[in-house]
Order: sequence, then C-alpha cells, then structure tokens
Amino acid sequence: MLPILGRTLILLALLAASAGAVTGFVTGKNPSPAGWTWTRRLAYAFAAFMVLANLTMEYALLTHDFSVSYVAHVGSRAVPTWVSIVSLWSSLEGSILFWGLVMGAYVAFATWRNADRHPEYMPYAVGVWLACGAFFSFLLAGPAQPFATVANPLADGPGPNPLLQNHYLMVIHPPFLYSGYVGMTIPFGLACAALLVGRLGNDFIRPLRNFLLLSWIFLTCAIVLGGWWAYEVLGWGGYWAWDPVENASFLPWLTATAALHSALLVERKGVLKAWTVILVLSTYLLTILGTFMTRSGVFNSVHSFTQSAIGPTILVFLAAALLFSLALLALRVDTLGADGRLETGPSRDVLFLVQNLLFVLFTFTVLLGTVFPLVVEAVRGVQMSVGRPYFDRMSVPIGVALLFVMGVGPALPWGRATPRQLRSALLPPLVGACLLGAVGLALGVRNPWTVLALFFGGYTAQVTLSEMFLPVRQRMRSHGEGLLEAFRQTQSRGRRRLGAYIVHAGAVVAIVAVAVSSTMGSSKEIQLRKGEATTLGAYTFTFVAAEKVVEPHRDSLLARVDVSKGGRSLGSLYPRMNQYESQREPIGSPAVRSSLTEDLYLSIHNIDTDAGTVGLLVLVNPMVTWIWIATGVMALGGLVALLPRLRSATAPARVAAPSAPIALGGSN
Amino acid sequence: MTTALTPGAGTPPQASRINRKVLIAGIAIVVPLLAVLVANLGRDPHTVRSPLVGRQAPPFSLVPVGGGRPVTLESLRGKPAVINFWATWCVPCFEEHAALTAAAKGLRDVQFLGIVYEDDEARTLEFVKQRGSAYPSLMDADGRVAIAYGVFGVPETFFIDGNGRIVEKYVGPLQRSTIAALVEQARGEGR
Repeated sequence: MLPILGRTLILLALLAASAGAVTGFVTGKNPSPAGWTWTRRLAYAFAAFMVLANLTMEYALLTHDFSVSYVAHVGSRAVPTWVSIVSLWSSLEGSILFWGLVMGAYVAFATWRNADRHPEYMPYAVGVWLACGAFFSFLLAGPAQPFATVANPLADGPGPNPLLQNHYLMVIHPPFLYSGYVGMTIPFGLACAALLVGRLGNDFIRPLRNFLLLSWIFLTCAIVLGGWWAYEVLGWGGYWAWDPVENASFLPWLTATAALHSALLVERKGVLKAWTVILVLSTYLLTILGTFMTRSGVFNSVHSFTQSAIGPTILVFLAAALLFSLALLALRVDTLGADGRLETGPSRDVLFLVQNLLFVLFTFTVLLGTVFPLVVEAVRGVQMSVGRPYFDRMSVPIGVALLFVMGVGPALPWGRATPRQLRSALLPPLVGACLLGAVGLALGVRNPWTVLALFFGGYTAQVTLSEMFLPVRQRMRSHGEGLLEAFRQTQSRGRRRLGAYIVHAGAVVAIVAVAVSSTMGSSKEIQLRKGEATTLGAYTFTFVAAEKVVEPHRDSLLARVDVSKGGRSLGSLYPRMNQYESQREPIGSPAVRSSLTEDLYLSIHNIDTDAGTVGLLVLVNPMVTWIWIATGVMALGGLVALLPRLRSATAPARVAAPSAPIALGGSN
Repeated sequence: MTTALTPGAGTPPQASRINRKVLIAGIAIVVPLLAVLVANLGRDPHTVRSPLVGRQAPPFSLVPVGGGRPVTLESLRGKPAVINFWATWCVPCFEEHAALTAAAKGLRDVQFLGIVYEDDEARTLEFVKQRGSAYPSLMDADGRVAIAYGVFGVPETFFIDGNGRIVEKYVGPLQRSTIAALVEQARGEGR
C-alpha cells in the first residue's frame, strides 16, 4: 500500500514540476497573468507532493513497513525512534527524497515571496527551479526508487549506517548540507532569469543576494559541522582532510562567498553583473558536481554512498545543466552591461575585485586537486592521490592573502582615495597586527605562515571592529547618545553592514584558529600496559583499565585514561571502540576534552582487554574550539544581515499587489 | 525597491550575439571536466591496485594437494607463470576453473599454479578429482603465502613474468580472453 502511495506522489511531483517548467518558460516568453498563476500553482503542487512523499516515507520508517524497499534497507525495529526518523537521510535513495523535500520547500517559499514581484523574471526563474525539480523527481521515480515494493518483506531490517548512530552531529549535518546545497537552486534560477530577460536590475539583485546568503549560512554551518563530526568521530585528530567530498561542499561555498561580495558591487555601482551571474551559475553547477561526487562511487571517500545507477543519471543532468548554462551565458551575457564604472587605484572597489579573484583561484585550485587523480587514472591508468600536501601548500597562501584583503579592503574608502586618506586608513590597524603577532611569538609560534596569519588576523580584527562600531561612534558624537542607545539606533538601520562585519569577525577567528591548531598541536602514538603512564606537554595520561560495555545495538571496548596536568587531576577520559552488528570493522569514538585554549584528544588504535594493553593516539590541539565558535558567529552575522531585509522587503510588495503583475512583463 | 512595475533602469537588451570569449572559456572548462567524469564512471575506487605489481613476487615453497615434492617460485623461473588463489567454498572460483584449465592446456609454455586459500586438503582433492585440473594446486595451510601476496579474497590471480616479477593482479573470476591477454603481457615483459 505505502509503496504505491509513495510512487504515485513522486509521479505527481514529476508531473507538476515538468508542467510548471513548461508553463514557466512559456509565460516568461509570452507573459500572461493566467500563465503565471498556473506556474505558481504547479510550483506549490510540486512542493506539496514532495512533502507528502516524505511524510509517507517517515510513516513507513516509523511503522517499520518493510514492504517499502528503502525501509527494508535502512529500517530496524531495534533502533530508537529518533534513529528511525533520521534514517530518511541516512542512505542514498532516502537522501534524494529528502533533497526533494528541501527543494520543494525552497521553491514554494521563493515563489510565494516573489509572487507579486519581478513579473518579467519570475516565470523564468520558477521554470528553471521546476526543471531542476523535475530532474530530481525523475531520479526518485526511476534510478533511485525509494518506494519500490518488496514482494516478501522480512520481519526486521538491518538498521541505518552505524556512523549515523555513532554521533548526534551526523544527524544534523546532512539537513544543513542539503539546505545549503539545494538552496543554491534558487539563486541559480534567478540568475538564469536575469540572463533570459537580459537585465539584472538593482531590484532583482536583492532576492538573488538574499537566497544566496540564506543558502550560504546553511552551507557554512554544514561544512564546519562535517569537520566537527570528523573530529569527534573519525579519531585521526583533525577536522579537515581535503577528502573529495569535503572539497565538494567547499567548492560552491567559495564561489557563493565570491558572489555575495560581487553582488554588493552590482548593487552599489551597477558593475560586475555578468561576473556575478557567472559566479552564481558556477555555484549551482558545483553543487551538482558535488552531488555527483558523493553518489557516483567515482571518488573514494568516507562519504561515498555505494555505486549505483544514480551516478550516470546525475552526470547526464550535470552535463545538461553545464551546457544549458554555457549556452545561456554565451548568448545572453552581453545583455548584462554595466551601469557604472569601477574605480582604479587603491580603493575598496579594487580590493573587492582582488578578493573575488582570490576566491576563484581558490576554487580552481581545489577543483584541480580533486579531479586530478581522475585525470591521471584516465590517462595513464595509475592510481594516485593528490592528498593533503598539495592542498595545504596551495590553500595556506591563498587563505592568508584573503585574510589580508579582508583587512585592507574594508579599511579603504569607496572610490578614489588621497594619499593622506590612505595613510590614516591603513596605518592604525598595524597596532592590532603587531599586537597579535607579538602575542603569538611570545607564546611560541614559530611557523612563518602562522605568524603571518596572526599578523594579518590582528590587522583585520582591528579594522573589522572599528568598522563595526563606526556608525555607533558617529552617532554617539552627533547625537550625544550613550553607547547602548547609539548601538540600538544604528543597528536597526545598518544591520546588513553590521551582519557583514560580524561574519568577517568570525572569519578572522576561524582562519587564525585553523592556522594555530594545524601548526601548534603536539601528538604522539603510544602503546600502554595497564597502570602505565605517558606524558605530552604538561599532561600525564595514565591507562587505568579496559572495560567492555554491551548495549543492544553495539558492543564497546572502553579505555579509562586518567589525565592530570602538573600533578593536578583533570578526571578521566574514555576513548572507545564501538562494534556494530551490521559493520565488520569497529568504529572508534575518540574522547575529547575541550577547553577554550586547547583540546585533549585521545583515540584508540588497538585495545586488548585480556592482555590489558591499549594503543593510543594522544593529541593536544590548541584553539580548535574557536573554529566551532567562529562558525556560529559567521552564521549569526549572516542572519543579522538577512533577517531585516526579508521583513522590509515584504512591505512595499503588499502595496503593489492589486495591480496586474504582468502589466510590463513584455517590456523587453 | 519600490515595485517591479517600473521598467528597469538597466540598458535595453541588445540583439543576441554569441560572446565568443565566454563560450570558448566555458568549453575549455566544461568539456575536459565532463570527459574526465565520464571516463571514470563505473570505476570502483575501492579496488586498490596491489603495490606488489611491478615487484618481485614473494618466494614460496608449498606442497601440492595430495602430496609430492614442494613447488617453489624459483623453479618457475624462465617461463611466465599464472598463480591463482582459490578455494572450494568460493563460487566464482568454480566459474573460472574451466577457463583456467583450458588456458593451461592451450598455453604449454606458461606455468599455471593454484594456491588453495583457507580450505582443507580432503575437500580440495575431491574437487580436483571431480572437475579435473591441468596444473598443480598447492596447499597454503597457514595462509602465509596468501598474506605475503596481499590476498583479500578469492579468486585472485597473479601474472608473473619469466624473471619472477609480478606483471598484473586480477581480482575476481577470469575469462579465457582475459587470461590470454594478461599472459601475453607477462610474456612481453619477461623478455
């Protein structure tokens, strides 16, 4: 029963999306109120069918209906209810169904918000979204069928991937990632619409920026949540390995970040329109490339789903999307002419350009490193891995350069600056730079790149803080208000600016924390007998006992390790090895003791309860906690910049609503 | 933004003309990228090529099934060799047995050897009696040779040239044509 219901809903979603894509494009070409109404209805219908299909799957998971093939693959009566709920995105077919849900939600929301606005562009935009939606519906209807009927269902199933059950971060990482990835469909559709209409007006850049920013917030969180998960679960002591699939999430983030900045120049100066559109298109295409990477089985990674027929299907879509974008750009990009002119010479304008080029350079570097092993294998038949040295060598200078630009750019005024202005803008932050650099040197930082990162970090931090509070100080001076009142007054109007600088502040902390944690840590691998101790830095680690814990879904071996610092006890840590029934290899769970200055990280290599020995990887990682905090700050900054605009953008639309929205649709 | 009902202030769209720069740059990125992805489709990244390929095969000295003088790797020098790790409990091994036997009969200048992986001698003897064989199978009782060759599972087959160097490792059941091609490779490199 449920399989048939699910398949029907998927087919209806496919139907609605395909029909809506057609009406969208037709209405874009020949504007008509009826066409627009139908396009919207079909967009809502697509969303509704996706929601219902997902609810059906959740119902099947919770009621353990093993006649649904996906439930038969990942369901189990033994797992807790929350695991059943999140099983929706624990495996290939379900994750694509969930993708459909997120997509439906985005499409419905974006259509609803712009129902009475941008009448020339919107039918095209909805058409593009629904064309993408049609593809994913097709994927669900055919190659990735989660609702296939199991003829003779078993009484119980294997349960989801144990990695999902091993840590709560794995539960929230995928929804954030999908919200970031799928959300990029919206700016993509809007950018395509701008190309099709042949104009990117100042009014239309706003929804584009807003949705880009919304997805960017999710993607930022998702990338770091993934790193955090790797840190807490995988047990090798780091948070980023330049794994192909990590790169896959990082690539669209880089282009999206660049696009958010160039969109500001479109808004302020009417320049870089075509460039911004190219960045937005690239961002979406990179998310599809990333989807292909995770689901084709072509790349070797902790993330890859097993090989399936989905890979070739996604590749066909990727090829179609790439060629469509390319053709659209080649034919229409010249219509997006500039309304203004970029300043030359030392100015904020130019630094925006430099920043954009650095991000694009970064994107190419990472893309090349990710794809290069495939090229070598295809051409020479040799398996190879580019690995961390390449990425580290390439990304460190680019990262430091970005940190530098993030400081110098905002310090410079818009437009041309006199030498005196330049001096008064660029010299004072050197105080912050020298201060942080000196603190680092005093604390023993010797790696030149880390010293440089601290120096630029101090510079950028000072610029960021002074820019953040510039309006407050001006208001305090001009209105004679106190600090709090002035802050309240200015932040309600200059929120977007404030949000941007909060993001910058977070980014400074993140880059500095990454630089310090990756160069200043210490580690050692050691084999200990019961009662033996080892030291690392000021810490002493004593292996007290090995214990076995039996739980319904897993058996675990724990090592109790007492930790002390300078003779003072810090308590015990319990790194463990979990053996899940469905998994051949045990999965380690490192024990991490976090603090603001440094983390103690213990991970088991091997453990023998009979002999009473344990092989431990012991690490002291400085400043790692600051990476997680900084990401929270960045996400918060994004929200600060985003939320008021969502609200204020609604107000004028209500006024405009009664008039026929299509009145001037044919003006091109 | 007041409303979208006012015409945009941007420049009016020009007649469509292809922007060649964008087109060429785009093709230069898109086509190679797609080509690489297509070329790698269907590849299984989990099959790791044996690091032994290109190196000297690990030496061994094993007694054939049913007894007899031990066979050593040294004794195979001068001829290409095909060493097949197999077991009676392995279904794909049945499938390739006929192909290997036929190949061994056809290729007289190549030394074929079976090495029995995690299996007992009586059952192996029974299997060979029933199905026939054109080459000796050796008992690797404690599995040391399998470990030395880095065998993951059966069947796995190593192609060795006349100088005792591993030319190729094949995972999974072999077919007649594949055997012929890989033997040819071993012959070529042995010269």
